[in-house]
Amino acid sequence: MKATANTAVTLLMRTAALAALMLAASPAVADTAEPGRIVEDTAGRILTEIDTRRSEFKKNPDALKELVRAELIPMLDQEYSARLILGRHGRGLPPEKISAFADALSSVLTDRYSEGLLSFRSRDQLEVLPPTAKDSEKLTRVRTRVQLEGGGAAPVDYAFRMTDAGWKVFDVTVEGISYVLTFRNQLGPKVAAEGIDKVTNDLMAGQIDLSES
Amino acid sequence: MSHSSTQTSTAGKLALVLLCTLLTACASQPTALTDPERDPWEGFNRKVHSFNHAVDKAVMRPVAKGYDKIMPDAPQRGVRNFFHNLAWPVNFANLILQGRFKHSMVATGRFLMNSTVGVLGFFDVASRQGIPDYREDFGQTLAVWGWEDSRYLVLPFFGPHTLRDTLGRSMYGYLHPISWYARKHHNYVPVVVDLITLRAELLPLDQDIESAQDPYTFIRDVYLQHREFEIYNGDPPAPDYDALLEDY
Repeated sequence: MKATANTAVTLLMRTAALAALMLAASPAVADTAEPGRIVEDTAGRILTEIDTRRSEFKKNPDALKELVRAELIPMLDQEYSARLILGRHGRGLPPEKISAFADALSSVLTDRYSEGLLSFRSRDQLEVLPPTAKDSEKLTRVRTRVQLEGGGAAPVDYAFRMTDAGWKVFDVTVEGISYVLTFRNQLGPKVAAEGIDKVTNDLMAGQIDLSES
Repeated sequence: MSHSSTQTSTAGKLALVLLCTLLTACASQPTALTDPERDPWEGFNRKVHSFNHAVDKAVMRPVAKGYDKIMPDAPQRGVRNFFHNLAWPVNFANLILQGRFKHSMVATGRFLMNSTVGVLGFFDVASRQGIPDYREDFGQTLAVWGWEDSRYLVLPFFGPHTLRDTLGRSMYGYLHPISWYARKHHNYVPVVVDLITLRAELLPLDQDIESAQDPYTFIRDVYLQHREFEIYNGDPPAPDYDALLEDY
């Protein structure tokens, strides 16, 4: 009799634990379409802004960089990207150094991104494709197509992961070329050879160059 | 027949030279490989890369820059469209070899449309009609047939390849009208124009390459990723991000 009661209690606890797990997971389940909306909304806001302030941005590219940074940085999981790029070279580094490295990296990325944006003529040039079955509740790719002037379209994909703060972008892939994978072999060995502070400073310095040109 | 035998013996000689250089390069290669799995011949590849870079800087880039300067963007695109349209036999044969018969018909329709309405292919009217553009070569076909992972190999003059794509390229000359014409009439003008215009198209990449920490690994990583993208027809499997963190 006692054994049965024990089993019942165990079963109850298990069910409760399972329910708790499912509850924790449910926001993610409900939100698999959200990354696509995030891309669409953010791109829409930036492109509308460019349309209305195009001549201003042409004269003052730094203003556009600021706008793009303000829009894009909150949607990035830049520390995760940084850890992927650093790989084993980031082992044992203090978190604040990784954060500084991540900040420098995403500034460089968003600045580069904003340079390409001025050539956009209209919002119709960007198409967000419907999600595919390959997406999961923790990791999903938002596929977009950017119409090119000479006909044809360039595929640009955004890799999202579910974080405590919701869906965040951690990788961008243009025509199959991943930002994380490509920068990994560029920056990893440099961090190993020169130290993360030097690389972070160099990235910041490059940023200054970009805004001056 | 005589053409193919000359081709084979030249290829054979080239392979021999490659092999010899390779063996010596590997023997004197003390530094660690940056990607042992996909690029075990890094020592050799880096030497060929330096050679290609020097040739490019001395000849190809200046010529391409000059062309880019005198030719406005629109006719430049037209010339690229023309050469791309002529690649139809290569695309067609490989679509058949990959069992994509419907796509081979689409490719043929695109070729006919661009060759006529598009004035000998200078205008890519098919793309504006939303007709898909399947670009397939023998390297991709070999990958579809199962040779998925192939080691990276930088060829003198021809640049980034894999071993598989090198083999694929040797087939290319038999089907591409430009190469065929060059060998039949010993007239290499179209080939040279094709290469110059192709190089001009790639000029915007120079800045990224020059500003890379290590231009060699940059070109390699971009090439291999883009190749995979082509093999999977624009939908390659996502990178294994967890594996990147594992050694963190």
